[in-house]
Order: sequence, then C-alpha cells, then structure tokens
Amino acid sequence: MPVDKDTLWYKDAIIYQVHVRTFHDSNGDGIGDFQGLEQKLDYIQELGVSAIWLMPFFPSPLRDDGYDIADYNTVHSSYGTLDDFQKVLESAHKRGIRIIIEMVLNHTSDQHPWFQEARSSQNNPRRDWYVWSDTDSGYKGTRIIFLDTEKSNWAWDPTSKSFYWHRFFSHQPDLNYDNPAVREQMWNVMKFWLEMGVDGFRLDAIPYLVEREGTNCENLPETHNILKDLRRRLEENFEGRMLLAEANQWPADLRPYFGDGDEFHMAFHFPLMPRMFMGLKLEDRKPITEILRQTPEIPPSCQWSLFLRNHDELTLEMVTDMERDYMYDMYAQNKTMRLNLGIRRRLAPLLNNDRRRIELLNGMLMSMPGTPIIYYGDEIGMGDNITLGDRNGVRTPMQWNGGWNAGFSTADPERLYAPIIHDPVYGYPAVNVVSQGESEHSLLHWMQRIIAVRRSTKVFGRGTIQFLYPANHRILAYLRQFGKETVLVVNNLSSTAQAVELDLRRYKGNILIEMFGDNIFPRVGELPYLLTLGPYQFYWFRLRRV
Amino acid sequence: MRDMIVSELMQAVHDLARGFAHYLPRLIVMVILALAGWLIAYVVKMILRSVLKLLRFDRLSENAGASQLLTKASLPSATEVVSRFVFWLTWLGFILLGVSVLGIMGLQDQITRFFLFLPHLFVAVLILFLGLLAASFFSRATLLAAVNANMPSARVLSLAVRSIITVFVFSVVFEELGLAEQTMLVAFGIVFGALMLGMAIAFGMGGRDLARRFLEERFVRDKDKKERDEDELSPL
Amino acid sequence: MEDETFLTDDFLRQLINVGEVDILVGLPTHNNARTVGSVVHTIRTCILRNFPRERAVIINADGGSRDGTTELVTGISIGDSRPTSDVYALRTLHSISTRYASTPRSGVALRTILAAAELLRAKACVVMSPDSENIQPEWISNLLRPIYYDGFDLVSPTYRRHKFDGLLMTNLLYPMVRALYGVRLREAYMPEFGFSGRLGNQFLGQNTWNDGTEGNGVELRFALAAITGKYRICQSFIGEKDPTERRGADLVPTLRQTVGVLFSALESDFSQWSSVTGSQAVPTQGTDQEILLNPLRVNRKRLHEMFSIGVAQLESVFQSILSPSTLAELHRISTLGEEAFRYPAELWVRTVYEFASSYQKSIINRDHIIQALAPLFRGRVFTFVVENRNGSAQDVVNNVESLCVEFERLKPYLLERWKSRE
Repeated sequence: MPVDKDTLWYKDAIIYQVHVRTFHDSNGDGIGDFQGLEQKLDYIQELGVSAIWLMPFFPSPLRDDGYDIADYNTVHSSYGTLDDFQKVLESAHKRGIRIIIEMVLNHTSDQHPWFQEARSSQNNPRRDWYVWSDTDSGYKGTRIIFLDTEKSNWAWDPTSKSFYWHRFFSHQPDLNYDNPAVREQMWNVMKFWLEMGVDGFRLDAIPYLVEREGTNCENLPETHNILKDLRRRLEENFEGRMLLAEANQWPADLRPYFGDGDEFHMAFHFPLMPRMFMGLKLEDRKPITEILRQTPEIPPSCQWSLFLRNHDELTLEMVTDMERDYMYDMYAQNKTMRLNLGIRRRLAPLLNNDRRRIELLNGMLMSMPGTPIIYYGDEIGMGDNITLGDRNGVRTPMQWNGGWNAGFSTADPERLYAPIIHDPVYGYPAVNVVSQGESEHSLLHWMQRIIAVRRSTKVFGRGTIQFLYPANHRILAYLRQFGKETVLVVNNLSSTAQAVELDLRRYKGNILIEMFGDNIFPRVGELPYLLTLGPYQFYWFRLRRV
Repeated sequence: MRDMIVSELMQAVHDLARGFAHYLPRLIVMVILALAGWLIAYVVKMILRSVLKLLRFDRLSENAGASQLLTKASLPSATEVVSRFVFWLTWLGFILLGVSVLGIMGLQDQITRFFLFLPHLFVAVLILFLGLLAASFFSRATLLAAVNANMPSARVLSLAVRSIITVFVFSVVFEELGLAEQTMLVAFGIVFGALMLGMAIAFGMGGRDLARRFLEERFVRDKDKKERDEDELSPL
Repeated sequence: MEDETFLTDDFLRQLINVGEVDILVGLPTHNNARTVGSVVHTIRTCILRNFPRERAVIINADGGSRDGTTELVTGISIGDSRPTSDVYALRTLHSISTRYASTPRSGVALRTILAAAELLRAKACVVMSPDSENIQPEWISNLLRPIYYDGFDLVSPTYRRHKFDGLLMTNLLYPMVRALYGVRLREAYMPEFGFSGRLGNQFLGQNTWNDGTEGNGVELRFALAAITGKYRICQSFIGEKDPTERRGADLVPTLRQTVGVLFSALESDFSQWSSVTGSQAVPTQGTDQEILLNPLRVNRKRLHEMFSIGVAQLESVFQSILSPSTLAELHRISTLGEEAFRYPAELWVRTVYEFASSYQKSIINRDHIIQALAPLFRGRVFTFVVENRNGSAQDVVNNVESLCVEFERLKPYLLERWKSRE
C-alpha cells in the first residue's frame, strides 16, 4: 500500500539502512546499483520495514565510502542514473516504503568543483566557501575525529599555499557556513532532492558546521541557528519530510538539536548503543538504565533513533576509559578489530553468532523508546571481514543465496567491489536470504515476526517508558505506555536462567498477554509478580484488564 | 514293748523320711537355685565390670571424690566394689528365692520385704553417687569462678557449696532408705538454714564491696574502673 | 548441600537477586554503628578500585543490632534504583543484610556467611571485623588477591601490635599451633581473614554446627581446618589490630574460645598433628609482624597476685590435672616474691601440654580445666612482661622464637602423655 500522509510517520517507522553499492548488482560490473536495489524491494517489503536509509550515492572519489561528495545533484555513475534512482523512489513509495537519503553538509570531497575553484587562487569567488588559514594554529584544542589517520584538523594546500580546515579526512575540506552563499546553496541542494520525492535526510556530521576560536568547534549556537533555518524552510515547503541528525554526543548535548521541535525531527542515540553491549557482557542492566535516565525529555514531535550496529565502527567515544577498556577486552581482544576508539565488527560476530543474544538485542532495539534502524545483513546474521581496511569489513556484499557470488552479482568474483564473506561460519553458503527463507526458524523469519509484532502497536514508537528496578540486576524491565495501551517488557541480560520479582502493584488486576504467542499469563495480584526467564530470554506482555 | 518302740521309731523314721522326701525336691531346687544363682551372679558381675570399665566408671568416681573415700576405707576400686556388691546381691537374691521355695512360713514375709526393699536400696545408692558427683562438680566450679574473679576466700566458698550439697544428698538418701526420716529432715533443715544464714551474714557484710563493684560494672562507668581496666592487657 | 533452612526466606530472596558473584565480603555485626560506616566505605573503595570488573556482594550477618548498623551497611550498595552520583562503578554492587539471631554469636554469623558464599558460588571471600576503623582498602585487597589470582585458600592476617598485646597468641596459641600442626601461622585466631569458596564449602559441610556449642571459636577452627585439610595458606599484613576494649576480666571466655577449641581440635586432628615434626613458614605478603614499643602501664602486681592465689587455692584441681613434678615446681615459684618470680618457658610448655592431655582424657570436667589455666597464664604474662620490659623489637621476636622452639622440642612429651593410660 502507498505511503500514508501521517506527518509523524517517523515515530512508527522501522528503518532499513543499506548502501546501494553493497546490495545488488544488476549489470554485472561487480558493484551494486539502483536497478539492483529496485529488484530487491520485494524482499525489503517482506521484511516489514517502512523506510530505507540509503547511504551516500553521489559522485565521489570514494575515499570515504561516498561521504566525500563531488557533485550533489546527481548519482554516481557506478550505481546508475538519476532516473534509476527516481524509479526506486516510486517503486518504494508504491510499496509503502519511504526513502531517506544522506546529505553531507559539513564538507565536500576535495574533488568537488567548488573546492577546485576555491583552491585555485586566493581571490577566487568561491574562495570563501571553505575555511582557509595561513597557519595551522587556529581553533587549537579541537579534537581529531579520525585519530588513526589524521594528525591535525588543518591540511596544507600546495596549490594556494595555505591551510584548509577539515574535521574528517584531509581530502574532505569543511565548507564555510559563515558564508550565506554556502547556506543558500546547500538548501538548494536539499530542495532538489525533496522535489524529487525524497522523504527525509540523514544530515551527516552536523555538530561541526561552524567553527569559532576559543571553543571546541562543536555544537555551537551558530550551527543550531543554521539548522533551525533549514527546518523552517522545510516545514514551509515540504510537509511530512524528516531530518535525522548524526551527532555523536552525550544526550544532554544532543538535546539542543531538537530545539523546541523546530530543529531536527530525529537524532541517533549514540551513547545507548555501546551500553547495550556492555550491559550484556556485564550481565547487569545498570549501564543501560543509567544512560536512559540521563537522557533528557525531547519535544513531543521528536524521536530518538536507535540502532545496534551501522556502517561505522561501534563507537566507544561516549564511554569512560574504564568502560572502553572493558569493551575492548570483552569484544575486541584482537587489536585489528579496534579503530578510532571503536570496534569495527558486525552484530553477529560481536555476539559470537549466538542466536539468543542476537534475538535479545534486537528485542531491546524494537522495544525501547525510539525508531529502530536495522543495518542491512544483520537480519540474516551476516559476518564481517576485518582484513579489509578502515570500516569496510562491515560493508561486504549482501548474501542472497549460496551460489555464484552469493547472488549479489554475475560478475567475476575478482571484479566485486569487495570480496564476499566465505568463512565456514558466516560465509554465504551458510548465511544467505534464500536458505533462511526456506527455514522456518531462521533468523530472517524471526526478524520478520518481531517487526510485525512491533508494528502491531503504536506503543513502542510513541509511548512513554518507565523503568522497573527489580532487585535482580540482571533483569532489565520497563513499561511502555501510550494512550490506553500498556506493554511490559522484561529482558534477561544473563547467560543463565534467572528468577525475578516485579513490583506491578499499580497494575493489579491486569492479565498479562504474551505478545508473540498471545497466551495469557497469570493476573497481577498483591504479591510481587514472579517471572522466570531462560538465558537471554525476553518477554513482551500486553497488560489487559478484562 | 520293743515292737511298739520299733514301730514308733519306724513310724518316726517314716515320717521323717516322708517329710524329708516332701522337702527334698524343694531342697534340691533350692540348691540348684543357689548354684544357678552363683553362676548368674558371676556372669552379671563380669558383664557389669566390663560395662563399667567401658564407661570409665573409675574416672567418674574419682571425679565424685568417691575413690578417695574408698581408698581411705582400704576398699578396692569403685568398679570392683560395685561389681562385687552386685554379685553378692544377685546371689543372695537367688538364695533367698530358693529359701522361699522351701515354704517356711515366717521367712516368706521377710524375704518379700527384703525384695521390696531392694529398689529403694538401688535408688539410694544412685542418689548418693550422683549427689557426690554433683557436689564435687559444683564445688569445683565455684572454686574456679571465685579464683578467676579474684574473690577472697574462694576455697571457703567452694567448701560451703560442697557441704550444702553433700548434706542435702545424705538427707535425701536417708529419706529414701526410710531411716530416721523425720530426724534427718529436721537435722538437714537446721544445718542448711544455719549455713545459709551464716553465708548471708558473711556475704552481706563482707560482700558489700563486691556487690557495689558488680552494680557499678553493670550500670556505671567510672574513672577508677577504667584505670583498673587499662592496666589489663588484651589477651588476643 | 548443607541444611539451608536456617536462612530466612527474605534473605534467600535477596540472595536470588544477587546471583553468582566473584567476590564476597562477609561482615558480622552487632551494634557497631560507630565504626561500621567507615569500614563499609573502605570495603566499597577496595572493590571499586581493585576489582572493578568483578561481581561483588557484601553480606552482613547481624546479631540483633538496634542502633542502625544494618542500615549503614546496606546503604553502601550501588545500583540503578537508587542513583549515587558521587560514586562511579561499572557494575551493580549489592549489600544485603540478614538477622541471624537476636544475640550475637560468631559461629552462627560465620555459618550464615559461608552458606551465602556457597549459594552464590563466590570464588574469593573475606570476613571483615566491623571494628576495624583504620583498615586501608589495599589491605582488604591483600586478603583477597592471593585467593582470587594466585589460588590460595586461606589468607590469615598479620598485625602491627604492641609487644604486650595479644600475649595469649604469642605465648600459647601461636607456638602450640606451630609446634603441633607444623605451620607458623601468626594469628591462628582470625577475626578477619580471606578464604576461597572451596575451603568455605568444605568447612561448612564438615563442621558439626549442631553440636551444641553454636560454632563457638570458629575463628580458630577455620584456620585449623585449613591446615589439616592441606589447603594453601598465606599471610598478609593488614595494619593495626582493631582496638577492642582491653578487659582482663574477659580472659576466661577468651580461653574457652581459643585454648578450649584448640584442645578439643587436638583430639579429632590427632592423626595429622601427631606425625608432624618441625614447622614450615607460611608465605607472607607485607611484613610478618610489626611491634610497637611505646611504654605501657601494666598492673604487674595484680598478675603476680592472681597467679599465687590461684596456685594456692586451686591445689585440688591442679592435683588432678598436672603431674606431681610440675605441680611441685609451680608451688616453688609461687612462693617467690614479685621481684624474684619467673615462670620459665620450659615449665610453661610443660604446664600447657599437661593441661592438653588432661583435657583429652577428661580427667575432670573440660570447662573446669580451661578455667584452671587462667591464673597460670597470668603468671606467664607477668614473666613475659618483665623479660621484655626494656627489650627492642628484635629482642621480643627472639624471645617468642625461643618459646616456640621450646614448644617444638617438648612435643614428644605431649605425645607420651597423650598415649599413656589410654
């Protein structure tokens, strides 16, 4: 069915994050493309998600996997044409799936014509579109993000004999947002895609738009003003579209990006994600409840975006040193897995391919307050390849079947943009869509089931959350409430069976109905409600008063 | 005449023989009983001796202070004494049983009375024994407690305790044996009362300080006490 | 598994919520509100600093406190239900309390702690004294580390002490355990110690808790069980011994809990100690002992007096316990004035050994035997104080050492008396 007109659709959405390049190759050149994606829209629809987030597909030298953009108004030739993209857009909308695309506002590729012009001379009209300096001492104290590769935020341009500012790779010069021309141009870029029908943007690296001396050059008020302006223009001209902020900050620092409901619609909740993994290893819910307790209230129209893994490393920036050491020791003993204060592994390998743990974390993802994002391949439990450089280990081709190139492409295997995983555990003969489709109890079927249950009620996307604090610290339990509906979620973070007594006195008289089997559980009485859970097991209960 | 005497004699012998024959089985039974009794008594003595040895009876009686009494009276060890006593008692019992079989009238009652008396005897001996044991135990306990509490005249106290208990025990024993019950009771009452009164007076006058110290310790903490205690070392 | 019905339902429920732990800290209390606050803070600091990743729990076995002790202990817990913003911890730290009786009994308290340790499958445990205000976090961790990382089963404490403090230990318990059991354990009577789950479970299972003594003297029994069970033992320095009020009047109960327990243990452990010769040193972390030499006022007159009076008054009792020669010797020295009095080491050793063998034979009531030792011990204390009055720390060490040698040398004498009149 086609997309509905609800302006708050993003609160009920389930997003599928995918890179065109990795998904499906239709023309046999070893690189995924839009036509290939369009051919697989049925699969995505069957999964049950309601939106796709496409990673950058713009023309680019691909030195940062597409986040170094060389032309904002078309698509990379390897992926097809703008028409191909448009067809994907229409097909998706017909299936009731929205499309969210990337928009990198902070920087461009150094191959972008704008930068080529700007660097050509100090007097070029576009000179001021970037941030230049004669010395590299400006904005001292600003942290370096890609610690493993960059030594400074300033890079020397031999052509114009001056330094230019870059918060990311040195081939990604930052745009100068103090320049009104820049701001106008970027709105026009966004307008271009919005007019085509795109439903939302993930705005990459937005804390770093504006720099000011004497600050850490992140989250500055000027940046917020620019963003508010963009939002205003969006509201005026394109109703029902969504802005998603990518800002790896503490929740308190993230709050301003929602403004008063006049800035971003959604933002990633970065600090929660490593704590979910940490709580699992510690077998203690404390890190999870603490971060959520520290998470501020956001305006009613706004929404957190939750995820387990994505295309980047599992970032450990927003944890203490002790926590980081713990995470490294538990999840990345092999130092190759560590990158930029993070761990570059996929979901399944991180959890040792333990089906129960994968289910548990997905269960938490689907039941916590926010919009869940599923990273492509995690729904079938794909593995990773840590020998590939940077973060490419988690961006390997989608495994469709056990045959030629896992069904990703008809090209010769050597021509693929990246090798397909073929180790005995995660390799494509073992892990692929077709075989999981044929197996009744596969992870893929399970994911379809849980997505369906999640979508059956609005309580998860829109409801409040209230934590129960049972004395057994291995149990993470909370109540979700929206309107008249109340759902009780109980998660066992421990690898061993547990018993827990929950204080549900406020809900005395309610019958518990387990949401996956629809079976009734005992009614809540005066005494604490006793539940027993197997290792890594979780329950979703609907509370019902007859 | 001679015939009459002979026949009378014959008659008498006859009667005697008849009487004898009448009693002979019983006599034989009595002898058998006596012999059997001796055997059984002997066996009982042996068993009892082993049991008592196992129970370390000698040690116990040493504790009671009975052993000292026995040696003073040139008697052998307590085990021996008890075993032999039981032996003789058992054998005597069997003999008397045999005698009772003879059916001699007057003797019956006495024998019955004797058997009825036996339980009392046993109980009396038991009470005596346990009583002396208790007296010894409590007097020693008193002695040790008093010495460790640094009380003066600890030995006197201990002796007093022993005396009281011993006197009490003896009076109960005599009562049990039914010997001069009333006299014993009264005598005990007098002695006990006198002792108690004497001790009360002694304690009342001499124990004033002790009582005061006791109360102080419980309810008041004063410098003197602290000073006194500070001179004490902590053993652990 | 032990009969667990003596744990209350509520406590069991709390144990379920704690779940499996790596570190367990046992804290027996009774009206310790004055000091326990700082003790539990130190415990918590130790755990957060030295074992931040380990699952830990504090188990408070309380004997009927009425001054808020238990609240102080449970208030130290860290969890998400009650956020403590001033403390950072990776994990939840449970601190739970149970009332095992309305009067304090160290045996029952330890049993409760051991039962909890078994149910929670704790790897390394430590029992702390609630009076140890001055203990440092490192010292607590010194009691745990050898168990958790190095596989030891028992960590006994060593203290900094005044030379005249703890003379029952230095003049009787230490030399005797050393001579008989062959282990140079400085503090066999341990109010605080570390132990492994392995040893704790064994002690819990084998010890007869229902023999009417309510587990009295467990502090010593535990050490002996570790020795006879051939467990790995080490020692660790933990600073100054907690300053319990010094009361000489408590000597008899103390004797019961230490000497009495030791004497009865000799009976059951006979097969082990009878075959041991010499003694082995115990691996020690930190210093073996530290001796303070500050001047201390001691009521020597009273000690001498109690000895002389004791020997005189308890004549009848001693006749049953001691050999005639020893008794005669005691008589001789009791006639000496305070100046000339000396209770020489050899005589003391003989006295102790004769007491031990009389105890074993139950010559008279055993408790009476223990009580009778008190005045003689005081005499020995007098001699020790006089001999070490002006001594340096090394002198004291040497004197104790020579006493130990004497105990070891006369061990055959004990064996002889033990076996005779069997």
